[in-house]
Amino acid sequence: MNVEKSPNWEEEFAERLNTQQWDSWKLYKMCYDVVKTNLITEFTGLKSLKYLPNVTPLEHQLEAAQTVIERMNGKAILADEVGLGKTIEAGLILKEYLMRGLVKKALILAPASLVNQWSDELTSKFYIPAIPYRKNTSIEHTDILVMSMDTAKKSPHKEAIYAEAYDMIIIDEAHKLKNHKTKIYEFVQSLKKKFCLLLTATPIQNNVFELFNLISLLKPGHLGNFDVFQSSFKASKHDLENDEFLKELVNQVMVRNRRQDTGIEWTTRKVHNIPVKFTEKEREVYDLILQLKDISPVFAGSFSMITLQKEMCSSKEATCLTLENMMKNCNTKDEIAFVEEVIEQLMALQTNAKAEKVLEIVRSAEDKVIIFTEYRATQIFLQWFLHNNGITSVLFNGKYNKSKRDYMKYLFKEKAQVLIATEAGGEGINLQFCHHIINYDLPWNPMKLEQRIGRVHRLGQEHDVQIYNLAIADTIEQKILDLLHLKIDVFEKVVGELDDILTYKHPI
Amino acid sequence: MYSSQVNEYLSHFFEETDCSIIERHPHYITAQLTIDMDKRIMNRPYYWKYVESTNGVPCPAQLTCITHPEEVLEDVKGEIVRFGSYRLNQIFRVAQQLGAYVHLYEAVDDNQDQIFLTPFLGVNYKVSYYCDQTKEMLFSFGLNLMTGEVIEQFHEQIQELSFVSERPDAAFPLQYIIKPLRGIERLDELLYNIIQGDDHNWAEKAKQKWVRDQRVLDYFYNDVEDKPECYEIEKKALEERYAAKIKCEIINGGIFYLK
Repeated sequence: MNVEKSPNWEEEFAERLNTQQWDSWKLYKMCYDVVKTNLITEFTGLKSLKYLPNVTPLEHQLEAAQTVIERMNGKAILADEVGLGKTIEAGLILKEYLMRGLVKKALILAPASLVNQWSDELTSKFYIPAIPYRKNTSIEHTDILVMSMDTAKKSPHKEAIYAEAYDMIIIDEAHKLKNHKTKIYEFVQSLKKKFCLLLTATPIQNNVFELFNLISLLKPGHLGNFDVFQSSFKASKHDLENDEFLKELVNQVMVRNRRQDTGIEWTTRKVHNIPVKFTEKEREVYDLILQLKDISPVFAGSFSMITLQKEMCSSKEATCLTLENMMKNCNTKDEIAFVEEVIEQLMALQTNAKAEKVLEIVRSAEDKVIIFTEYRATQIFLQWFLHNNGITSVLFNGKYNKSKRDYMKYLFKEKAQVLIATEAGGEGINLQFCHHIINYDLPWNPMKLEQRIGRVHRLGQEHDVQIYNLAIADTIEQKILDLLHLKIDVFEKVVGELDDILTYKHPI
Repeated sequence: MYSSQVNEYLSHFFEETDCSIIERHPHYITAQLTIDMDKRIMNRPYYWKYVESTNGVPCPAQLTCITHPEEVLEDVKGEIVRFGSYRLNQIFRVAQQLGAYVHLYEAVDDNQDQIFLTPFLGVNYKVSYYCDQTKEMLFSFGLNLMTGEVIEQFHEQIQELSFVSERPDAAFPLQYIIKPLRGIERLDELLYNIIQGDDHNWAEKAKQKWVRDQRVLDYFYNDVEDKPECYEIEKKALEERYAAKIKCEIINGGIFYLK
């Protein structure tokens, strides 16, 4: 074995023998004692634990940290279900490597809204001086840097980051890297990943190729190259043996704890799928909107049609906004007249059947309720609607900065009965004090539902969580429901079962 | 190191480095730094350049280190210093610089008859094994500079003794036969032999993991003729992760005249 030895000590020792300048015995002993106390005496085990009085890790978190370091050699996807403490696991791993001197520089990439939270948590719980990136932060001189993905991928930050030799890269909400054609994917691909953690509760959102992309970032080749993977996967879509094989490979680079195997008693999820019927008037407008695609080429695209249908299932306010925008692209008088007619009928609607249903649920819950919607316009409408019915509410969305988020959380906890959040509000806030969730409209993506539910169904929740999925019968929402089931199926095969998101899968 | 140990350590450190302690408290400590210490740990070279070039009155800083922030209820302003924090690491480094070389005589009762003191070269080594994991070992050797005999765990044996830096009147230190610098070479050699004889299965295992991961990586870029830059980056990352290294450094050492 080759032994590296630094000659510096002897050189100065020779000099001291000449100059007869010597140090104090007490400092000499102190110096030895520090080295001795901090010595890493074993290759394995978590040494950092005893120095972290502010962290009491749970069994599954310790196991995850140890597995990543000892079996996965420091490169892994941490895919615990939402609310099981992936951040704690990542903190433990980073701290261990820092203490063992294997990591000196680390980069943490997180969504902009979570940058401060990461820095706070690493500093206060793990005593890791993690600096959140600000305009004047020197990338070169910061050892542990927390940055948003959007900032990092742009010049000049991108170049500055490439110039540094990071020993560890941690990426939160890593499902944002599911598409290998995006800029951020390319950016992360070109980062040197000596040690690397990808954190996501939802490694698959739509199809198994997303998982392939994630793993290929982490460990290129682990699932073969794209062509091989694609052909073996397409051809054997229903080949169980192949699924087993894939599962095995995935498990070599991914830790996923599920609620039931944490050994903690979890409250259950009670899912209520509530079909809502349009009023006759609403149905007329919905059908009218469907006709738009035959009237004008502006509405012929399937994407815009789907958007309008989804919005119509949400609120007239959301629909109207889109209609007005699209009308600007219409050319002929007839087209414009037709759209105007639709808008007129739309705005004449008096009742929103879904909102009435919401009111009913909120009233009978007699408790805090979170409503998730995908549209800002619907969000504002709902607040107005609830207010008219004597119910207090606060709004929440992902664009709020940290202090505003904290304030809104405080208002919801102390003052208001309802919190109305848009999609973006789904990540990174913890609202265990509430246990009613209304999914006012359904996203295409089952993992988004999981993220939403995870806001309240996490460690610290003491009640059963009531989930109300609202879907309007005989509309596009019906199709969304069907599709959601299909996607959950793929996920379960490869990754593991998902808690009840939708009850339809297991009809009673 | 626990917070109470940090508190105690800081208190000793400031005392030993002539920084007067202004307030001592189980949860924090305030010290008036000396000019030298200010230069070493306060990171303000421009201030000192300015003072020195203008012949200004130097005003070294006071430093308050809070070791138990959760316990401090009063309004104490200062830095939170914990195991792992930047400031403490810096102080460890300074302590290492200021406690690296000693030349000491074992204390002798003045009333006694003349006592011969034997010169020893004491050296404390830290050896680190690195791959994707780490292990560290401390070796403390004492080389009798008269006979060439080596005592292991030398520091543990002498740490309770009392030493003085000036030769006691009643002591008669023998002139060493083995030169100290030659002594270091001998101890180095001894250490290398110990290392060579150790079980290096860890390095073998790391190598196996490396080969396996390299194969996986090559497979991904199998059909690509001009391998992209990220292939090279990954390859380098593998090397950094798995390449087995043994590092050896001297923590401190010196000449000890023992009874």
